[in-house]
Amino acid sequence: MSRPSTRGRRVLTTAAIAVAATALLASCASAGGAAPTAAPASSEPVEGGTLRLSISAEPGCLDSHSISATQQALLGRLIYDNLVTLDRDGNLAPYLAESWDISEDGKTYTFHLRDDVTFSDGSPWNAEALGLNFEHMRDPATKSPLAAAYIAPYVDGTVIDEYTFEAHLAYAYTPFLYGLAQSWVAITSGKAIQESPETLCQNPIGSGPFVLDDYKPGQSISYVKREGYHWAPEWLGYEGEAHLDRIDFTVVPEEVIRYESLVSGQYDLTEALPPQNAAAIQANPDFVYENLIRTGSPSVLHFNTSRAPFDDIRVRKAFVAAVNRDAIANAIGFGTYNVKDNYLSSKTVYYDPTTEGKLVYDPKAAAKLLDQAGWTERDADGFRTKDGTRLQVVVPTTQSATPSPLLVQLQGEVKKVGIDLVIDQVPQAQLSERRYAGDYDALSGVWHTNTPDILFIRYHSSEITGERIGQNSSYLKDAELDELLQKTRETPDGPEAAKAYSAVQHRLLELVPGLPLYENQSQWAYSKRVKGIEVDTSHPIPVFTNAWIED
Amino acid sequence: MFALRRIGLRLLLGVAVLWGAATLTFVAVFIIPGDTALLILGGPDARPTQEAIAQVRADYLLDQPFIVQYFHYLGNLLQGDLGQSYRLRIPVAEAIGQQLPSTAALAGFAALLAITLTVAVALASAQRRPWIRAIVSSAEVFLASVPSFVVGFALLILFAFTWKLLPSSGTAGFPSLILPAATLALILFGPLSQVLRNELEEVLEQPFVLTARARGLSDFAVRIRHALRHAAIPTVTMSGFIVGGLLGGSVITETLFSRQGIGGLMLASVYNKDLPVILGVVLLSAAVYVVVNLLVDLLYTSIDPRVVTA
Repeated sequence: MSRPSTRGRRVLTTAAIAVAATALLASCASAGGAAPTAAPASSEPVEGGTLRLSISAEPGCLDSHSISATQQALLGRLIYDNLVTLDRDGNLAPYLAESWDISEDGKTYTFHLRDDVTFSDGSPWNAEALGLNFEHMRDPATKSPLAAAYIAPYVDGTVIDEYTFEAHLAYAYTPFLYGLAQSWVAITSGKAIQESPETLCQNPIGSGPFVLDDYKPGQSISYVKREGYHWAPEWLGYEGEAHLDRIDFTVVPEEVIRYESLVSGQYDLTEALPPQNAAAIQANPDFVYENLIRTGSPSVLHFNTSRAPFDDIRVRKAFVAAVNRDAIANAIGFGTYNVKDNYLSSKTVYYDPTTEGKLVYDPKAAAKLLDQAGWTERDADGFRTKDGTRLQVVVPTTQSATPSPLLVQLQGEVKKVGIDLVIDQVPQAQLSERRYAGDYDALSGVWHTNTPDILFIRYHSSEITGERIGQNSSYLKDAELDELLQKTRETPDGPEAAKAYSAVQHRLLELVPGLPLYENQSQWAYSKRVKGIEVDTSHPIPVFTNAWIED
Repeated sequence: MFALRRIGLRLLLGVAVLWGAATLTFVAVFIIPGDTALLILGGPDARPTQEAIAQVRADYLLDQPFIVQYFHYLGNLLQGDLGQSYRLRIPVAEAIGQQLPSTAALAGFAALLAITLTVAVALASAQRRPWIRAIVSSAEVFLASVPSFVVGFALLILFAFTWKLLPSSGTAGFPSLILPAATLALILFGPLSQVLRNELEEVLEQPFVLTARARGLSDFAVRIRHALRHAAIPTVTMSGFIVGGLLGGSVITETLFSRQGIGGLMLASVYNKDLPVILGVVLLSAAVYVVVNLLVDLLYTSIDPRVVTA
């Protein structure tokens, strides 16, 4: 059989390669994106331009009242305004409500509303719209995972006049206003709520500085500037329309790619910057890196105090003493996590610094406590036993390719004192069920919120899941604590409230409902070309009303 | 007449396949432990009210036994209603419709790339010197065995992060399509090219090829006009594999390249036990298989009239 000529073969191969290469290169010439250059700082904002952001996930629905996703803190600030806001110092400040009065008994709130605000569908903001918002939040059809809980004490409201609304609460509930400052409780168009509530997920209507332009679920969300916007909260120090024409969000779930595509210039800002890249981005002169502590609950491994072995306070104290939290925070956060030693985030209002340093790392004390609790024998694997039962702690967590690095670290720490920590990876659906059934020994979690009422949410016995769904995942039931927590809710803001919250924090340190690990950090980074970014104190996320891009 | 009856029979079989796929999926999702209502209401970190939980259970029949839920679903399906997504709160058809164009673009372009590459490489390398075949063959085996995310990452590191020629993520415009499509195409190329090249080598040994050469036809013409046509049949047979590779591969590719698409929709839906969407995607994939297989059957007879399948 004859062999074909070498020449023909070469031409064919070369042609194939050339075609492929040209196709690749020709189509991508313009796709690189300009690398950020450090231009001299100009103080005059530039109007126009598109801000490109990457986020780790999107909620699947953009109706603030229907979701509980973390990203809503950021997304909600764009298209919605809130009734009230927190200023730079974390104090309550006017927003869509110009002012408010609270009755002597703390049960009636009278809101005096701004009279110059409209929603992007053209409908007006007024007392009726506020009433419709409260109804929408708690309407079971809204299927609210969060907003309804924040306004739970709301009974009904009265429209006093066009711009005055009276809200009646079932009991004195000082955290009410703080809740109303959060993105999940943002204000939606009353007209849209009445006419087409079923479309709000895909087509949310607010009164904020931006308007939804295009939403591709799972992929991207685009916003355009709202013409005529001039009711930004005073603390922003700026009243007019946004400078940016457009904001494009792209969902980039892989953290490596989130970091790389920020550095390569495809995006201007990324939310959820992976901590392992924090050092690199800090060293990069083209970027600004933010690492802020979220208010509310820090990262805590909650002990299920309703069953063995954590029903014994000595075991709880031993577990806390056995763990070197500095080492863990360093390893997990690559040096970007702040170690925590009580149950309230240090940035939360009424945080009491005198609670610090009460929970210390002391393996010897841990061993002694376990001996006292009767866990004196050891089995073949070196774990402690009592009456033939191993000192075992089962911690369920969501399924993933690699087990939670935090739990693996903890496993190693407590093994040294003879505790067997078992990591139980289960699907998300099963985790919810076990979480609400109390079927676990310990559970790790965070909860960011802008009010110290997080302590009530987390540790009041009425928040134990049973009759209803609660977040008291340590199943803590302490009469003294309950009384103290009730008092914090009823006490108006001021020194009295500070005292009440301090008492709660100290009581919790006696009860040890969990192992506090580190603060809940909000980490993000952006190109230095972006100027004028403000930080929301309700949740430490960027606000873009004043932001602009340097030419 | 005969052909029409054959097509009718195949379509009927197709409906049975769809029904079977839907039923199996329904059972599988149903027996996954976990309370769907709690998941719909924000999962383990939410505080839904009792009323909201009751409303969700009632709306989605979650308080009903399996058989009631199943027949309710089938009943709606027969009326062409795929139901509503628990998570996105829009009709399933709309949810899929939002994602379909980008997956179709990805799959279409990837298939085009894979087939072009396969034909070009197979034509160029069949019956060549051993060292050429060794190189090509090792590349094929390597690409057929390496996981798609490794290929994707390699392309990302080179083209997006190092040379900054292409975007690493997004669904905006043709440039964002190139890397994910190339990833899928390279994965498909491995096995396809092996099959086509082996077949070409066999065909090139056939007497009619010798005849053609004797008539003075150039090597290039022999390969294109005569050999390729005969060798194409096994590759066409693999179209089921191609479709499977494109659908399955799209899950990983879409996640890695942060692309919108059916793969991402399916992943999020499984994670959230969003049964109506899971069923919708399964039905769509099954329908694509049925149609593709039918088309392949018809294509056989036009490539080679001697082939008559029952």
